[in-house]
Amino acid sequence: MAIFLISSVSQGVIGMYSKMIKTDGDIIITQKGISDTFFSNVDISLLEKIDKLEHVTSSYAMIVGASPIGHIPIAGIYGTTANHFSHYKLSSGKYPKEGEVILGANLAKQFATVGVNIGNKRFRISGVYSSDIGFEEGGVVMNIEDAGVLFNRSASFILVSSDSPNKIDNIVKKISGMDSAIEVKTTKNFVKEYNQFKIIENSSFVISTLAFAMGLMGIASVMSMIVNSRKEEFGIMRALGKSRFFIIKNLFFETLIMSLSAYLFALVLSLGILAMLPHIEMLQGYVNGTLSLSTALYVLASTLFMALLGSLIPAWIASKTDPILLINQGCA
Amino acid sequence: MIKASNISHFYGAEQVLYNLSFEIKEGGFVFLSGESGSGKSTLLSILSTLLKPSSGELLIDEVSIDKIKNIDSFRQNRIGFVFQFHYLINYLSVYENIALAALEEKKQNINKILEELGILEFSSRYPNEISGGQRQRVAVARALVNEPKIIFADEPTGSLDSKNSTIVYELLREAVKNGTTVVVASHDMQIESYATQIIRLKDGQIL
Repeated sequence: MAIFLISSVSQGVIGMYSKMIKTDGDIIITQKGISDTFFSNVDISLLEKIDKLEHVTSSYAMIVGASPIGHIPIAGIYGTTANHFSHYKLSSGKYPKEGEVILGANLAKQFATVGVNIGNKRFRISGVYSSDIGFEEGGVVMNIEDAGVLFNRSASFILVSSDSPNKIDNIVKKISGMDSAIEVKTTKNFVKEYNQFKIIENSSFVISTLAFAMGLMGIASVMSMIVNSRKEEFGIMRALGKSRFFIIKNLFFETLIMSLSAYLFALVLSLGILAMLPHIEMLQGYVNGTLSLSTALYVLASTLFMALLGSLIPAWIASKTDPILLINQGCA
Repeated sequence: MIKASNISHFYGAEQVLYNLSFEIKEGGFVFLSGESGSGKSTLLSILSTLLKPSSGELLIDEVSIDKIKNIDSFRQNRIGFVFQFHYLINYLSVYENIALAALEEKKQNINKILEELGILEFSSRYPNEISGGQRQRVAVARALVNEPKIIFADEPTGSLDSKNSTIVYELLREAVKNGTTVVVASHDMQIESYATQIIRLKDGQIL
């Protein structure tokens, strides 16, 4: 179960952020040489020039940051140009004007007040929005001008949409020529190369590999203990004339049934926990999990392999031992 | 029927049997007697093919045990066992314990044997749901089900009272009457009255 949850949560975090970027544009512009969007600063005035390019349907700028909000120690803050507000589906109220914010549904549950303190400024809550991306659901959206003052920057990045997928490379080239301080990439490439994702992926790979290895060693040693505790039984069966093949075949199917049952139990429990995670208020929707089919199949194959290895090796050794010694060892 | 030649056995560095040679004739009731630690259980295990001797040769029906390719099948077809602690498998019912040992063509005998031993009514019970005496009768039934040529019994009455001991001995004597060779290792001298051959052991040697 630990294997499922660690892998799923790290995949979920990456999935949420990449979805946030991928769904909103085809091209992303960030500050050159800055590997994290949180620290990137791009000149927002580029928007005017970009909008005039052929095959560009829309563009908007965003500032992403994080800050304590009221009693909440940290929450995501999204400052955006007004043309991007429609991305956040209002469940009540209005989109924010200057000095106003809208709260994600998860965050809104924790505020019964009409205003919130962010940084050293108080903002009026003008509405509540919902999003299927956990990061956004637990965050705050405001005008990019307010966010600019709060985080002292022009824009973290600019996202550009095009009506022609074949022309995207051409648009990338044109935008790159507009300012030497920017880096322009397709969102697909950005997600692939984004350092934060690599860090999350690598660290989750190490953690899940360790959890996985420990889990597998646990499975193998439990199976080995179970087989060793049944030496007497194997000795009796051999004394009654049952062949080594009969004993190993039975053990093979027993192990298969036990492993599959344990796997299914862990899978269902993990899916249940993953389904609950986004609804835990304390987590503000930031912890989300995605269990991919390939992870599930990989865990299944490894679990079965280790369980069979852990049970069949001691069974094979036991099958080569004289029956009376097995019976006596079992009694010991 | 059984011919043992110069059988010796070691457990690690400790020698427990010393160059034992003897013959057991078909249809006999053989009593392996001796004090605890005399080596009778080890010898019985070797005779019953459950343990390979360190040295020496064992012939059953003039065939060397070392030359038998499928010893498991040989055991199931020719040999029955009764152990001191019955060694029934706890998660199998009485019937299933006997069926586990039975050859396919002998499974039809199970209910008949259970009836003869007076335990048919317990056939669906599990070993921990019947008494010690009943468990030992199940063990005897399991040994008899394939109508083996030889039955080996190691202290078969060791955990029974005298009434149940007599029942078990009578069952084994009945098997001898039907042509089965029975070899019993025990320190219970009551069995001497049933024996047609006695092999006395002391410190791993035949007296």
